[in-house]
Amino acid sequence: MINNLRARLQPTPWMAWLAFLGIFLIAGVIGGVMVLSDGLSLTNLTDLVPWGLWITIDLSSIALAAGAFSLCAAVYLIGLKRYEPIARTATFVGLIGYSMAMLCLFMDIGRPFKFYQAFIYWNTHSLLWEVTMCIALYFTVLLLESMPIIANLKWLSSRYPKLTAKMSKVHHYAPYLAIAGLFLSSLHQSSLGAAYGVLKARPFWYKPEMSVLFMLSAIIGGISMTLFTSMLASLLTKRAKIDDKLIEKLSLFVGWALVGYFYWRFWGTLSMTYTYEPGRTEGLELLTKGPLAFNFWIGEILIGIVVPMILLLNRKTRTNRFWRMSALLMVVGGLVAYRWNINLAGALVVLSYLPGQPIVSYTSYTPSFVEWIVGLGVIAFGFLVFSLGVRYLRVVDHHFVEKEHIPVDVKAAEAATV
Amino acid sequence: MSNKLERRGFLKVAGASIVGLAGLQLMRPSKVSSEDTASGERQWAMVIDQSKCTGCGHCTLSCRAHNDVSPGISWNEVLPAGKVGEHQVFIARPCMHCENAPCVDVCMVGASYYRPDGIVMMNYDKCIGCRYCEVACPYQARSFNWKEFDGDNPAVPTWGQPEIERRPRGVPEKCSFCYQRIDRGLEHGLTPGVDPAATPACVVTCPTGARIFGDLKDPESEVSKIINSQHTVRLRDDLGTAPRVYYVLAKPDDFKEVEA
Repeated sequence: MINNLRARLQPTPWMAWLAFLGIFLIAGVIGGVMVLSDGLSLTNLTDLVPWGLWITIDLSSIALAAGAFSLCAAVYLIGLKRYEPIARTATFVGLIGYSMAMLCLFMDIGRPFKFYQAFIYWNTHSLLWEVTMCIALYFTVLLLESMPIIANLKWLSSRYPKLTAKMSKVHHYAPYLAIAGLFLSSLHQSSLGAAYGVLKARPFWYKPEMSVLFMLSAIIGGISMTLFTSMLASLLTKRAKIDDKLIEKLSLFVGWALVGYFYWRFWGTLSMTYTYEPGRTEGLELLTKGPLAFNFWIGEILIGIVVPMILLLNRKTRTNRFWRMSALLMVVGGLVAYRWNINLAGALVVLSYLPGQPIVSYTSYTPSFVEWIVGLGVIAFGFLVFSLGVRYLRVVDHHFVEKEHIPVDVKAAEAATV
Repeated sequence: MSNKLERRGFLKVAGASIVGLAGLQLMRPSKVSSEDTASGERQWAMVIDQSKCTGCGHCTLSCRAHNDVSPGISWNEVLPAGKVGEHQVFIARPCMHCENAPCVDVCMVGASYYRPDGIVMMNYDKCIGCRYCEVACPYQARSFNWKEFDGDNPAVPTWGQPEIERRPRGVPEKCSFCYQRIDRGLEHGLTPGVDPAATPACVVTCPTGARIFGDLKDPESEVSKIINSQHTVRLRDDLGTAPRVYYVLAKPDDFKEVEA
């Protein structure tokens, strides 16, 4: 008995990893409770910069979850069946991303315990209404899509075999779910950009391409996130089995998609350099010369787009696992930098409303300690769920094919021949 | 085989109809909502005469008292606005009560809404505190309740008595043209803008009479007369928000008369 316990408490890398995440989780929970009891005055947010670190984490986790809808659409709608195992990983990553986003939003809104009112009172004209609805519905879709994955939990299937059998059967509806996912995601991934893009009061944001850029970067970042986490998991544990060829193929797609994204980003930025426009010009200056310049040139452009684009398009570096993983991680980092930059470049510029041409002034924002610990706690939560998924649900197993799908196909084929 | 086709057809129709429905809702032009705004028989508006404003800040304080606003927040801010001639001038800024209010457009729960008399109102019960309205407002007219406002209001009773409920923590609050005074006044047969008890507190308290309040639809109201006879400006008119607060800007001549 005692020996057994000892063996269980042996410090394994897994335990160390859990302990490491646990520190951040506990800190995050403490920070979260502090914010719930004392309110948002614990943050460094102001009336001029009401959205900060948490909105960045929220936007980034939603964007990085976009691999789920893009890959599910590719597999079940376009018919690229061989990517199904990766779509499975992506679905789980997506589920985590949206949970993180909802946790973050819960902390971020002024009256967290009234969040349900977002579903009761509708202003259908508001982009955030649409985003809220889509996120809630898409989370449901992701939950359904994850049912066959969760059914793999041995603890569950040994106790409730009938339940898990039913859960696995949800996979039969994968194409329908993929359609719902594609529809909902295309809407809210773009709308999150448009939520900024429709604000006339903030000239740096006020442009139509915000939605396009958010959508494109989300697809690229989301797929990269899925591929990166899969590769990372396979490095760290034998439970994760990847199909390197599939990942390499998708990485090539990411490389080309980056070219397209770069094209949009380039013209979107360049066109802003012409003719002084109060607020917009200053926002761009913050980005290219001011406090956000490092994030922009290095984080977003160089590391986020140019370097991974070259690494992924070049066959030698793409086939090399180290370089491919680095490139995918860079894309993920670049996406986070983009969300952070775009939020702040618009918010830090303050336009006067006095008569005459608006006078521009600047404000500043650095996240407070509580914002950091809550933010890191949310991220740790994401890592924890992914790790548990890899360990207990075979989330990263690219040789794994869902059982339900094949018999259904066979039956259909039989019926056709009869 | 036919089974598959049916499914595909169904999916197409279903997909198209969902996209169509959602698209119709989202693309509904905001004009629809602003038609509601101008529907009332009265349209409240304010004129602020810059040449009379001395920047004393009495309006801010009496607003705090009558609306029970936290000392850290101003619904009604008075800002220095440069010099005209040798005189320092000011701009007092309540909520603009825009006809095309960006805050109403973006609010996801419809907590910001138009009253038929044009007042842009907040339903604090609906609000969940996402702060999108704050980001959307070009006039910084909204202040978020970062902290709970408990304890005494230092502006009470010197500047008046609270007439409305204090807002909870976690909602952005703003000027309401003292709707409570207007509504109660009308019930008692008073005329807002004429009878002090039915007029916004800031207008009543202004020692120099720099603020004028009244009904835009009544051509005989003081605000209509000024707007029709004098040159007035609205802040950031270029944005198309169509504010209901009009400013008579100070000219160097205004101050010569005072001195002479």
